[in-house]
Amino acid sequence: MELTDWELVQKCQAGETSAFQELVSRYHQKVFMVILGLLRHREDALEVAQETFFRAYRKINSFQGGSSFYTWIYRIAVNISIDAQRRQKRNPLDFRESMDGVLDAQNEVARDPFADVQDRELRENLVKAINDLTPEHKAVIVLRTIDGLSYKDIGEILGCSEGTVMSRLHYARKKLQDKLSAFL
Amino acid sequence: MTGCENIRESIGRWLDGELSPAESEAAREHVLACAGCAETRRQLEKIDTTLKSVLAAEAARVEFTPFWREVQSRVNRKRAWYADLLDWSRGLLAAPRVAWAVPTVIALLLGLFSLDSYWSGWRFGGSRNSFAAVDSIDAHGRSVALLRENETKTTVIWLYDDQEVEHETAEEASKSGPAF
Repeated sequence: MELTDWELVQKCQAGETSAFQELVSRYHQKVFMVILGLLRHREDALEVAQETFFRAYRKINSFQGGSSFYTWIYRIAVNISIDAQRRQKRNPLDFRESMDGVLDAQNEVARDPFADVQDRELRENLVKAINDLTPEHKAVIVLRTIDGLSYKDIGEILGCSEGTVMSRLHYARKKLQDKLSAFL
Repeated sequence: MTGCENIRESIGRWLDGELSPAESEAAREHVLACAGCAETRRQLEKIDTTLKSVLAAEAARVEFTPFWREVQSRVNRKRAWYADLLDWSRGLLAAPRVAWAVPTVIALLLGLFSLDSYWSGWRFGGSRNSFAAVDSIDAHGRSVALLRENETKTTVIWLYDDQEVEHETAEEASKSGPAF
């Protein structure tokens, strides 16, 4: 039977590194998605995701199970991403090239050429529109979209109320809808 | 607000499953009957699925083994002492701790400053009867002097001509000879 996250955390607190390895295998892709959504740069996102798990490992003994493991790990990921964003003022062209690489790789598997062009336009403009949002609005939309987290969980991760999550999501969606209306 | 405006305000919460069962049912019925709101729903769902697919496709390329190897190497790497100190100080300044520390420091300072109200022997920041400041500032050729007396909280401000400065300026001008 598969162990729960909390059981794995307890094993890890008892010194079993393999339990932490299992937690990393469960969450590394989702954590990477959250960070990529915030940073937009693949290599930076990979680096921050690895740093997230490293810090989680170092602090695992302070995790008491008051919240779920995924809200805890997402909170660490969001905090490091925001710090990384402040420290690394990248040239916008770097982001553009990184995300172009991501979009190109995805379009290689598309089949219908017309749908391909439409999808590509939407994806490109969605990436730009997301980037125009403030970090707070970006974080709520990314967390909600990736994992379908509840407003309560998102509030716990970002340290704000459910009402704030609700209003930020409403504002962010309205902005995206307005900017992407020609491509939807 | 009209029915459509109401629904469009809450359509995101409906799609997120954050409305009550009764509100959800009302939203569902409205969207089924209203082409405009159905279009709003379609657009919001399209944004969600597109963003998810962009990020998921990229995440699928992240292989676990090299990822884990890098995490493991960080765990095994000996960290510099200042990195540990930085982590420790970050924890110390974390919001929940600062939340109680700030009012505590303010309360202590207020207590310290108001001690002389309760304890006549206590003096904080010097004698109460002394003049606190005598200062002069050049103000367009004139000087300003401030005197503040602490016990009665009286502040005297006056302007006066600085004769010495005027004399010095005149002497310098005569030494340097005629100006062109």
